[in-house]
Amino acid sequence: MNKGRLKLRMKILLGVAAPLLIVPNVSYANEDYYAGKTVTLVATTAPGGTGDLRVRGVAPFLKKHLPGHPTVVIEYMSGGGGRKGANHLYNNVRPDGLTIGAASGGVVGLAIMGETGVKYDPDKFIYLGTAHHINHAVIYTRADLGLDSLEKLRAKPGLRIGGQEIGHVSYTGGRLLAYFLDMKEPKFIVGYSSREVDIALMNKELDARANSPTSALRRNPEWLEKGIMNWHAIMAAPKDKKFPRLEHLPEIETFAKNDQEKRLLKLWRNMRGVGSPYILPPGTPKEIVQTLKTAMNKIFNDPEFAPYYEKITAEEVSPLSADELTQLIHEIPRDAETLALLKQFAGTGTLPRR
Amino acid sequence: MDISLIDAAVQGFFNLLHFKVLLALVVGVSIGTFTAVAPQGLGMPLVYAMALPVVIKWEPITGIALLIGASSVSAICAAYLPILFGIPGGGGSQATILDGYPMGQRGEARRALGASFMAGGMGALIGTLTLIIAIPLAKPLIYLMGSPELFVVVLWGLSMVAVLAGNRPLKGLIAAAFGLLLATLGQQEQSGIMRYVFDEPYLLDGLSISIIALGIFGIPAAMDLAVKKVGVEQQPAPLTGSLFDGVKDTVREWWLVVRCSFLGVWVGIVPGIGSSVVDWLAYGHAAQSARGGSSTFGKGDVRGVIAPESANDSKDGGDLITTLLMGFPQGVSTALFIVALLAWGYLPGPEMIKRNPDVIYSVIWVQGISGILGTLVGFALSNQLAKLAQVRYSIMVPVIFVFVLMGAFAVTRDTADLITVVVFGAFGYFMRRFGFPRPAMILGLVLGSLMERYLYRSMMSYGFTWLSRPAVIVLLILATTSFIFAIRGKIRSAAHVTSAVGAAMRKEDAQDDS
Repeated sequence: MNKGRLKLRMKILLGVAAPLLIVPNVSYANEDYYAGKTVTLVATTAPGGTGDLRVRGVAPFLKKHLPGHPTVVIEYMSGGGGRKGANHLYNNVRPDGLTIGAASGGVVGLAIMGETGVKYDPDKFIYLGTAHHINHAVIYTRADLGLDSLEKLRAKPGLRIGGQEIGHVSYTGGRLLAYFLDMKEPKFIVGYSSREVDIALMNKELDARANSPTSALRRNPEWLEKGIMNWHAIMAAPKDKKFPRLEHLPEIETFAKNDQEKRLLKLWRNMRGVGSPYILPPGTPKEIVQTLKTAMNKIFNDPEFAPYYEKITAEEVSPLSADELTQLIHEIPRDAETLALLKQFAGTGTLPRR
Repeated sequence: MDISLIDAAVQGFFNLLHFKVLLALVVGVSIGTFTAVAPQGLGMPLVYAMALPVVIKWEPITGIALLIGASSVSAICAAYLPILFGIPGGGGSQATILDGYPMGQRGEARRALGASFMAGGMGALIGTLTLIIAIPLAKPLIYLMGSPELFVVVLWGLSMVAVLAGNRPLKGLIAAAFGLLLATLGQQEQSGIMRYVFDEPYLLDGLSISIIALGIFGIPAAMDLAVKKVGVEQQPAPLTGSLFDGVKDTVREWWLVVRCSFLGVWVGIVPGIGSSVVDWLAYGHAAQSARGGSSTFGKGDVRGVIAPESANDSKDGGDLITTLLMGFPQGVSTALFIVALLAWGYLPGPEMIKRNPDVIYSVIWVQGISGILGTLVGFALSNQLAKLAQVRYSIMVPVIFVFVLMGAFAVTRDTADLITVVVFGAFGYFMRRFGFPRPAMILGLVLGSLMERYLYRSMMSYGFTWLSRPAVIVLLILATTSFIFAIRGKIRSAAHVTSAVGAAMRKEDAQDDS
């Protein structure tokens, strides 16, 4: 083959190939991007639990408000309090906007606290928002113990406070409340499911419990109405939101003695305020992120969303937008001293001295 | 609304007499049947979770008919996997393998299926009747059972190792101890200490009992077929017996059905014991109490099918007692059922008894009717399902492997589960080969974490004073008596073919050596 023919063939080849080498000008903001596709929500909780129901409360509206109305499916990846799913989202998922993490609330806190098994950086996730962020905790004791004032509560030694497991919000929240109320040598007993704690209280195996007031009063409204329990204090998250039927209870920060304790409460409130965030892996294109953020905002403002979500989850909607959630996470105190102090409450051992 | 319970029962029945409700019941039964007979992966919790957003928009009774219909039938029809393939069925159908699979192997699959469905149906009805009677009685029973009492019950369950070990008590103890050791894997909930986790997120929550059971029973069954049958022109055992032989067996053993059904209901009522225990407790009780059981159980004794299946299916009635009357869910499915009830505006618990007793009775009626329907569906499918036992081993072996792997993957959708199930499959094969009873290991695994939890709670709440609680003393006496009778039975039969499991193992060893 002579050189001339070879050059001609090369030119023809380049002429054909060149358009293919140009990166296609795909617009992720285009409605067509999601049309006909499937969006996978990776839930870091097990099917059937509260976390799953929260995801199911959102999924149909994601389909409704994403341009192109893609199919939305839920994939479960529970384990390690959300670490397994978060690790997968961070390390294994392609950042193309077709896989969204529906993370459990502890995912951010576990990483900030430096817990074992965390293989992601929570500050590098892209947050789309959360459908609920109000997570109060209230502490109550059996009325038959006669602890109807804070003085009597503080004077009673060795109260048995029930919880689910070490590090669970019910356990850590309970220890924080006991600390700030100066309870005397409380004994924290874990290994109960939420319902089992209720039974143990009624059969006098336990004396007290810290729990979400919404959950507690939904399960046992008579505990407040008929005075079966004495209610002592509330730890509001966020601080400025009141719980309607327990407005008379003192907020725990009124018992804080110094700035360190206030920072501790801020750390806890912000971690609780993360709710159940929707997250994207790092590197997701900006246009996709914007499309998804817009869709989430539309979901939270959809008048049909709140009634549907509340029906599915039996919880009130309290959304945070992407920007609000990101801001909240960035404001979580990260100083070593405060983190070390919180770890004492999340772990075993006696409570720190005040 | 203040109406008598009889009026409520009548109104509850009339609530069902609408076309939509009956159609929903039929659809629920179909879904339940499909869940039971389809390859593993579609458990009832997932079915409930998927159905929930749809049914909460329906009228309540229609939604109840679908949900309860599905779960009731699914439990009854789940026995075909252990009988035909030697793979554990749902959480309460593991012990059925011990006698159901040998029956299938010798051509009595129809009889075994007939017995399982009939026992399941009778168990479901007894569970439903107990639900009716339990309305005034459930609450004191639930509050009677604190952590100390639950610990003793679980300890009693562990004493069943003596039965399950057959004539190899030392190997049984070793297997049970290994099961207890496996139960410690993961993050300990009382202290947060990581035990044998090696910084692997996969091991943080320990190993799944379902995956281990699938591995140690299912894979050895398939390997056994492959080693013995592949390449050998050997016809499977011809099908003998009929469905009605199984029905007659169950009717003849009606007293065993009643006892095991009450055991199942009780496990269902008491929070914290769990469905994976009920079939082992029933099997152990039957092996101890049945005449000649020590020499026939484990070799294809139909009573070894009747006992666990009746307990497993009556447990649903017990679950509903705590769900409806106390508002306490016993598992994921009942938790989702409570969510549905809340969405329809009902508050499960004492308030529901006062305000909506007719709805409670509608649930009871649906539970009873779907139990009967489930039994009839099971009978209708049995003949065709039984023919699966005659499928050539060269086809059966890969099918069993696929079922096992799919079932393992379905637990958490983690590919590491596939490795786990294969590892335990190999382990189970060697356990079987060297005569270590696998049921004893499963019992240790199931009960280990429960024992640790209840003992911890008892000591933290009461110190040592829990040992002096009246209910604890009574339960300890019962457990000790049961254990002594089991040991005495073993000693008496030591001169003869001693135990079901042991004899089965000797038979297997002989086949292996040939």
